[in-house]
Amino acid sequence: MIKVYSQLNLDFRKVFFSKGHFLFRALFKIACCCLFALLPTLVSAQTTINGTVKDDKGTPVIGATVTEKGVKNTAVTDINGKFKLSLKGKSGILNVTYIGYKPKEVAIGSSNEVVITLDEDLNNLNEVVVVGYSSKQVSQLSSSVSVINGNKLRDVTSNDLGSLLQGKAPGVMVSSASGDPTGGSSILVRGASSISAGASPLIVVDGNIGGTYNPTDVESVTVLKDAAATGLYGSRAANGVIIITTKMGKSGQTKIDINSVTGFNKATFGNFHLMNSQQLYDYQKTFMNPDPSVLKNNTNWLDMAFRTGITQNHTISASGGSDKTQFYVSGNYYKEQGTLIDNGTTAYNFRSNLTTKLNDKLKLSVLLNTIYTKDNNPTRLFTGNALYDAYLSMPYDPAYNADGTPTDGRNYPGWVGRDKENFLQGLQYNFADAKTLNTSGDFNIDYAITKHLSFATYNRATLINYRDETYYDARTKDGGANSGELYNNSYFASTLLTSNRLKYDNSFGNHNLTLLAVGEGQKYHYDDQALNGKGLPPGRPIMSTATDIVSNPSGGVDEYNFRKYLGQADYNYAGKYFLVGSYVHEYSSRFGGNNPSGNFYQAGASWILTKENFMKNVQSINFLKLRGSYGTTGNAEIGNYAGLGLYSIDQSASYNGAPGAYPSQKANPNLTWEKMKTANIGVDLGLFNRIDVNVDVYQKTSSALLFKKPLPATSGYNYVFENIGSVRNRGLEINVTSRNLVGAFKWETNFNIAFNRNKVLSLDAGESMAAPGAQLPIAVGHDMNDWYMPIWAGVNPANGKPQWEKLVTDANGNVTKQLTSVYSEASASKQFTGKSASPKFTGGINNTFSYKNFSLSTFLNFVYGGYVYNDSRAYFDNDGLYDSYNAMVPAKGWTRWQKPGDIATEPQAIQGGNNNSNSASSRYLENGSYLRLRNVTLGYQLPQTWLTNLKIRSARIFVSGDNLVTFTKFTGVDPEVDLNPDVDNMSTKGVSSFKYPVSRKILFGVNVGF
Amino acid sequence: MKTIKYIKALIIIGFLGMVVNACKKVEPSTAIDDKTALSNADNIGIATTGNYAVLRNPSYVRSGHFLMEYPGDNIAQGQSSSDDLSRCYRYTHIPTGTHATNFWTQAYHLIAAANLIIAAIPDNGAEELQQLKGENLYLRAMAQFNLVRIFGRPYTQGNGSNPGVPILKENATDIRPARNTVKEVYDAVVVDLLKAADLMTEQKANPYASKEVAYALLSRVYLYMNDNTNAIKYADLVINSGRYSLLQGGDYKNYFSGVPENNKETIFCIKYTKTQDQGFSAIGSMYYSGQGPDGTSSLTTPGGQGNTGWGEIYASRTYVEDLDKYPDDLRHSFIAPFLDNGVLQYNKKLTPNTPMYYITKYSFQEGIVTLSSPVYLRLAEMYLNRAEANAKLGNTQKALDDVNIIRTRAGIPTLTLATAGDVLGAVLEERHLELAFEGQRAYDLFRNNLPMVRNYPGTHALNNTPSTNIMQTVLPTDARVVFFIPQTEIDNNPKLTQNP
Repeated sequence: MIKVYSQLNLDFRKVFFSKGHFLFRALFKIACCCLFALLPTLVSAQTTINGTVKDDKGTPVIGATVTEKGVKNTAVTDINGKFKLSLKGKSGILNVTYIGYKPKEVAIGSSNEVVITLDEDLNNLNEVVVVGYSSKQVSQLSSSVSVINGNKLRDVTSNDLGSLLQGKAPGVMVSSASGDPTGGSSILVRGASSISAGASPLIVVDGNIGGTYNPTDVESVTVLKDAAATGLYGSRAANGVIIITTKMGKSGQTKIDINSVTGFNKATFGNFHLMNSQQLYDYQKTFMNPDPSVLKNNTNWLDMAFRTGITQNHTISASGGSDKTQFYVSGNYYKEQGTLIDNGTTAYNFRSNLTTKLNDKLKLSVLLNTIYTKDNNPTRLFTGNALYDAYLSMPYDPAYNADGTPTDGRNYPGWVGRDKENFLQGLQYNFADAKTLNTSGDFNIDYAITKHLSFATYNRATLINYRDETYYDARTKDGGANSGELYNNSYFASTLLTSNRLKYDNSFGNHNLTLLAVGEGQKYHYDDQALNGKGLPPGRPIMSTATDIVSNPSGGVDEYNFRKYLGQADYNYAGKYFLVGSYVHEYSSRFGGNNPSGNFYQAGASWILTKENFMKNVQSINFLKLRGSYGTTGNAEIGNYAGLGLYSIDQSASYNGAPGAYPSQKANPNLTWEKMKTANIGVDLGLFNRIDVNVDVYQKTSSALLFKKPLPATSGYNYVFENIGSVRNRGLEINVTSRNLVGAFKWETNFNIAFNRNKVLSLDAGESMAAPGAQLPIAVGHDMNDWYMPIWAGVNPANGKPQWEKLVTDANGNVTKQLTSVYSEASASKQFTGKSASPKFTGGINNTFSYKNFSLSTFLNFVYGGYVYNDSRAYFDNDGLYDSYNAMVPAKGWTRWQKPGDIATEPQAIQGGNNNSNSASSRYLENGSYLRLRNVTLGYQLPQTWLTNLKIRSARIFVSGDNLVTFTKFTGVDPEVDLNPDVDNMSTKGVSSFKYPVSRKILFGVNVGF
Repeated sequence: MKTIKYIKALIIIGFLGMVVNACKKVEPSTAIDDKTALSNADNIGIATTGNYAVLRNPSYVRSGHFLMEYPGDNIAQGQSSSDDLSRCYRYTHIPTGTHATNFWTQAYHLIAAANLIIAAIPDNGAEELQQLKGENLYLRAMAQFNLVRIFGRPYTQGNGSNPGVPILKENATDIRPARNTVKEVYDAVVVDLLKAADLMTEQKANPYASKEVAYALLSRVYLYMNDNTNAIKYADLVINSGRYSLLQGGDYKNYFSGVPENNKETIFCIKYTKTQDQGFSAIGSMYYSGQGPDGTSSLTTPGGQGNTGWGEIYASRTYVEDLDKYPDDLRHSFIAPFLDNGVLQYNKKLTPNTPMYYITKYSFQEGIVTLSSPVYLRLAEMYLNRAEANAKLGNTQKALDDVNIIRTRAGIPTLTLATAGDVLGAVLEERHLELAFEGQRAYDLFRNNLPMVRNYPGTHALNNTPSTNIMQTVLPTDARVVFFIPQTEIDNNPKLTQNP
């Protein structure tokens, strides 16, 4: 092993010197000096202890740290749990620590051989979590945080962090609008408090904002929820912070881990069914005269568009190191075939985390991560989009000719489908692919200036290179008119960040004080180019073969800057009483010239009651802590130039070949930070050493909300960015972990649930709605996700017409409700539906059973009380309007009006539609509650006796199922919808439209450690 | 150790420097500050170009085309469509209709943008600036006129006393104005156009406004106001300017496939360049689909739906029958029946089936199948405006003379007072044939208090029970002769009243 280390040091030197940077040289000199200074102490050994560290089952503990009390003298256990330590001090006491186990103090007797048994630490209070700019023991926190360790995170197989987090931490709501593996999910912490500004939590990787990571390399995820926790990121942490810590090696034997998962994905369509030919024919016969010859074919287009995909996830990692240098390196290959044909993603991920102590005072870390992703995404195709076509194509039309080639809707005699299109024909040649190269490098220095004062600098460059290619072959519908079209887009983005920290840490008796000062700067740059060609020979998707262009090339540059200063004081008395306070000042280029800076402050306090004498006798309570915090945080997640008054000069402004400019954005020089005040009270309770309960109650009140306020066209603009009004979120979060059985048969349950209530408190003076008339109008006194639309009043039994409520105001100003079958009257009478897109509560239940080498875990997540607007029903359930689109099989309980007197849910079907019956109304608003069996994993740990001779440290095989069952009343494909879309896609919030179904996955895996 | 301290200090200073550097001001690359956008004559010229580009936005020109042409009887929609354009055709409007919302929004954005320039140029400025001011006055008047004819009842009903649309003047501060009457809007349009004509001195090509362009629109506006004397006056000014001439023979047959600014007959068009092709989203995509799924067959030969366009709106059977009275009528060039082995094809989605007479007035510019620069004003209309005004003033021979100019050019026999019968009727019939698919027909009927009678296959029949009854009659007094004010505008401007 020694060899390996020296090699490593050598490489380090090579790399640094080749850069020729004075800094590296200086650091190396310092390191050398220190090494020499330390040498004499290392050789003055006397008694040598040979020891073994084991766990309560007798399995050797690898990588445990053994320290001689009172002096600087440490060893780390090897693969057999053994260590060797030459005693230097006189205490004769060893301290042994290992994560996940209770620390142990052992007195050395006369023997030089010791066997130390560690007890598993069943409550995780001593676990160290990364919060803000520091790490703390869970028991010492004054704030509301949730920690999910890497293994809990990775039960579900996905390359997307959101999917992995779903249901695992109270108050963290994950929603994804799609099962497309090239897409992601959105995360909301404690409900949305922003309107037009992004409501996603801030992601912090390895101590700095932003950065890249791959789920396989994640050691732990910490979710910071209240102001005291998010404080130091306060200026941009209004929506919570997710801290991702990647793995780092531990000194000791080098560990090699191989994890391999392979499995199958299949699309799930829930309660949704499309009609087959006979069903559609029978239905259409009630309102038109379909030609009986259509029954010749019965194509199931969903079957044509979806397949069983294969998912593979393979990782090899190595970690280890000496006392001075530790490393973690890994390589990961992830490939997921989408269930939609031609769709999939392939990712190659490499990480190298290296940290080295150049001397007692100076520590250097270099973290490098590169992810190369290839996406095949046919849903990006303009038409010939298989997803859309799969739902709407007619079963009457055949998919294949007699000779096995796909039919072509354009020239197939008697093609019925409206778009004259068979996506299978187009997808033979057309494609939409993308490649992304994502690299981030961290260079961190920690320097102890004195015993109590330290300086640290954390620096990162994140670079993204993206390129996509969309091709429409001349032989297809999309490419026919221009004899083939090819589109290339590319962009480059860089984020440079430096964070510099001065820390003072001292104890005065029982008084412990930490002071922190930070200066931080961030620069972002983005530029893109797009070009295209037409007139390409069939089958030659190469730009050089193009004979002309479709449109002119385009491109632009985007930039923003942030600059932040903060100070924090952290005090505790005897590890019993804790106080923390902080102040942040931040500048952002995104805001108007008048108010680009914001000031934020946070304070928190906590008290561990179980450390008080009066609690010593309460045996049942092993831990009790009260926490409270209050503070302000901010939000700057709007466009980069939202405050400026602008004339657009891009190609949309050019006319007849000359450049032009037209007004595109109204100025608001006063635009400033959105602010949020958060109060949080929490209790952490440990009972019988078996049950841990965390309860948090919070109130978040945001003010000066960033809002893209719609303007009437007569203003000359579509919108203006303003700071308006105030929104409050109140909630309750409960997290219970219970070790139900702890003997040979172990059973642990984790249950978490979160309730959130949202209310718009105020808007601009005199305004009752921020977006008047919108489906989610954001109205004073309402949840900002309350649906507002014409109220569906069922079918008129007399004539089968649709009915809506109409508000009629009489001469005295009294408003009464009447029914109308005229949609224009209904749309002028929009009302609140009493239904909200926000769920009433969300959560998850995780059960883990283990017996000997077997383990079984089940994980359910649930969302209750939110309503989803099932938009695609306007196409599938339209009472005869679209006779050349397929229709859905009526859901359970739906009935169709056929003759006067019928009490029905569905209006009479009429060719060409029945009085706009499919226009937006509460007809398509459906209960989106669901309970989903998100994952079941059955694992078997191969017995140690089988492995020792094979030089294998551990081996586990498992089978796992994702999204096995979903219970819901929703009539669409899946009730999960995006509740936190991009600012530009707000109209998709809570809406289900042509859903890419989520996948049910069955996966087989093996984990082997050497 | 001194060096180490020095290095330490350098590191700290270096990083602090980076922090400070992060507060440099940033600006967008594809937009400019509104404070500099109108700061000098060059910039005002660029901003004026930008205002023409607003016309090119599909929300204006494409949605506007659906609103102005689809209520007519020259076209037939052969199958129902999920697009709001079906509602424009079938008179089944809803207040949340996409195209009315698009057009309203884009037209007012144009007016507001023009107002900024109009306000920035004093009336005594340099000649070059006066020209630009005139162009913006023209753009404002044109947008305001189109708005009032889409959302306000015909001027001839109640002499303009019905609610029109809000008039937006330069320097206006109220961004939520109420509706003016139809008359007030027409009067404002006339004032703007007269001033525009006065200020414009440069003879710009037909994608731009110039004096005669303002005159041409004045002729149409006065005709709509039933001010026939002025309609004749301004038609005369255009015809006698010598700037324009009627295309003849082969040139006429290829009217829409050439380079727009070389066209001597076009007075004003909205110009699309070769690199601004809209493909399946083009106006022409609804009207035409060429051959060539293999990418090699001729795109100018009609093919099945979905090849190069949606091809679901056809010349109505009535229109083609009217044209067929004279098989040599050159205007057959603008219709392309979809034939398979010489047999006319039908869209079979409806009973009775709809014959697929493709329309080519929005196709083939410079050889690109879906490219076109929609023509808004052309010389033929000036003759027909003058004819209609003369017919109404009782100058029947003068009226027929102008009609005959158009008929002669089309290669069909001229009319005499003896053969013409009702002269106004003959003028309107000629307008129907000549100006078809150019957004004129519904207005020509309703402003003359005539009903729209559709008696040909098309989705309008779906309004009937049974839908095999293909007859639809829309009276000029029908509420749906005008569109609903967009609901989203009413939501954001409580002063706007809705049309019944």
